[in-house]
Amino acid sequence: METSPQLHMTQLDPSTQKPWLNGDVKPFIRIRNLTKKFGDVVAVNNVSLDIYENELFSLLGGSGCGKSTLLRMLAGFETPTEGTIEIDGQDMSHVAAHERPTNMMFQSYALFPHMNVAKNVGYGLRRDGLPKAEIDERVSEMLKLVQLEGYGKRKPSQLSGGQRQRVALARALIKRPKLLLLDEPLGALDKKLREETQFELINIQESLGVTFIVVTHDQEEAMTLSTRIGVMDIGTIAQIGEPQEVYEFPQTRYVADFIGSVNMFEGRVKKDSPNAVIIDSVDAGIDIHVPHGVSCSPNQKLWFALRPEKFEITATKPKATKNVIKGVVEDIAYLGGQSVYLVRLSGGKLVRTVRANRDRGAEKPITWEQTVYLTWAPSAGVVLTA
Amino acid sequence: MMSWFHRQLAKHGRNLVIAVPMIWLIVFFLAPFFVVFKISFADIARARPPYTPLFSFEDGRLLIALSFENYAYLWDDTLYIKAYWSSIKIAFWSTVFALLIGYPMAYVIARASDTKRNLLLMLVILPFWTSFLLRVYAWIGFLKTQGVINALLLKIGIISEPLIMLQTDFAVYVGIVYTYLPFMILPLYANLTKLDNTLLEAAHDLGASKLMSFLTVTLPLSLPGIIAGCMLVFIPAIGEFVIPALLGGPDTLMIGKVLWTEFFNNRDWPVASAVATAMLILLVIPIMWMRRAAEEEVS
Repeated sequence: METSPQLHMTQLDPSTQKPWLNGDVKPFIRIRNLTKKFGDVVAVNNVSLDIYENELFSLLGGSGCGKSTLLRMLAGFETPTEGTIEIDGQDMSHVAAHERPTNMMFQSYALFPHMNVAKNVGYGLRRDGLPKAEIDERVSEMLKLVQLEGYGKRKPSQLSGGQRQRVALARALIKRPKLLLLDEPLGALDKKLREETQFELINIQESLGVTFIVVTHDQEEAMTLSTRIGVMDIGTIAQIGEPQEVYEFPQTRYVADFIGSVNMFEGRVKKDSPNAVIIDSVDAGIDIHVPHGVSCSPNQKLWFALRPEKFEITATKPKATKNVIKGVVEDIAYLGGQSVYLVRLSGGKLVRTVRANRDRGAEKPITWEQTVYLTWAPSAGVVLTA
Repeated sequence: MMSWFHRQLAKHGRNLVIAVPMIWLIVFFLAPFFVVFKISFADIARARPPYTPLFSFEDGRLLIALSFENYAYLWDDTLYIKAYWSSIKIAFWSTVFALLIGYPMAYVIARASDTKRNLLLMLVILPFWTSFLLRVYAWIGFLKTQGVINALLLKIGIISEPLIMLQTDFAVYVGIVYTYLPFMILPLYANLTKLDNTLLEAAHDLGASKLMSFLTVTLPLSLPGIIAGCMLVFIPAIGEFVIPALLGGPDTLMIGKVLWTEFFNNRDWPVASAVATAMLILLVIPIMWMRRAAEEEVS
């Protein structure tokens, strides 16, 4: 795509690609001890967070977790009860929403219904009193960027959902904000369009070099889009990390459960040595062997979390002696690319496993009511203490 | 298997539903209008009813006697033109004042908290529970030379002798604006309460100050409410009779009063009918214009 010289291209240098790993890089947004109360309800509870330039940061959480309130405080629509927000070194405490270097893309898009597309997109520039010729030029530049050339004269009511979403994006980007806040940007689109738009959003973000903060409840969306994800739970940040980190190394049961699906085996520490732990799990009906140390006390209650795709499911008894669970297939869901097997263990727990359908119909497929064996690689699971 | 009745209902159900209000309008609006329209082409007569018949049969032939004299008379006698002009002027300025007072009120009500909003709406509607006539009389008590307002101003010492307010155009404006204010507030409220708050946030986010977001978002989006409110005030205000009769002076010229005089004092039904017909035509023009403006706004 051709970009104008005004929209400065940012080439990501590998050494600065992960500034959060580099202690010397100054964060672009500094949130310190931020709290927001609505009456007695604490929506955001003592959140501290650093976000770096050119990041595409996702705030992920269920409804009511405080992610939208946090975003609205960044935009200046809500005043923090306590704490500070700093954007590009500037304290935002006394900066009104219309004077902040941020723009927001609203979940409902909030397009002005009485203005056509060009007027909507150019709204922010008209408020700044720019000359008409420059506004027209930048509007058509923006419409080109979001692939809506020739749509300038249409009213929002004459557009499809996907087109409205692009108009909202163009309108939010036209003032070249330092920070773009996106509230559920893809929430109103259907699945297919959402997947296409995700990549477009990343391309635009990379080509413009704007820092994005995205609020979403869709974990897949967060995984695809983000450089890092902040998982939120009842007003606090439960974990911050890169998508892979949050998925493979969740720190709490909440995070493990919220991102993707997971099988959780409760148990107690049976044997604790510096580089191996044995967990006695009633859920699994066996002793679970973990090949690394865990900071825990003897007999402490903890959880072993295993993703469905980490299981090996076989009809015959495997050679391994450790970490093998026997169960009966209760349900099978054929999803095309993969199949989900729900396996009932002897202890009564239902386990979810996923197997890629590599062949077109195996010779002896695993079927309902069949006894199967589940195993996993020693390091496939995560031990959680909270 | 559908019965004949059901099939007919499915076929004509839509028309049936529309037919009820249509019949109502034809019987109670269109038919009386044609009676008035017909009388406006007759001549005055000492008879009962006091006008000449339009149609008569003589030697088995139908005679139609149309007289355009009444309309010519409206044009020739400057009283009528003046009365129309004065009515439009009074109705126009009353509408402007009602809008200027009503818009902020409707805005505040629409933005108030739920409990407050119901109370405020109640206060707007409350005057309707007492007779309109009584309320206009109450204004006489306020505005007259020894009235409440003069007594108060004299006591404070702002004025040394009472102001003459009653039986002036000022009193007519006060009466009309007061009476029709709820008709301005309610459609505006209905419109403003629908306004999506995120639109204002979006405007704010894009650099608009509070005033600017009002001017560029709230105001244009409330245009249908403004048009509806203005129509509901302007149209009845043009034909208003009671308020100028009670609060206005002898020089207050309004078409409603002229109409009354023609009908009941002069017993000149044909001229009175012509006055009424001309007024209707006068009103239809702004209604059509405003409707078109509203439709353009929607599309």
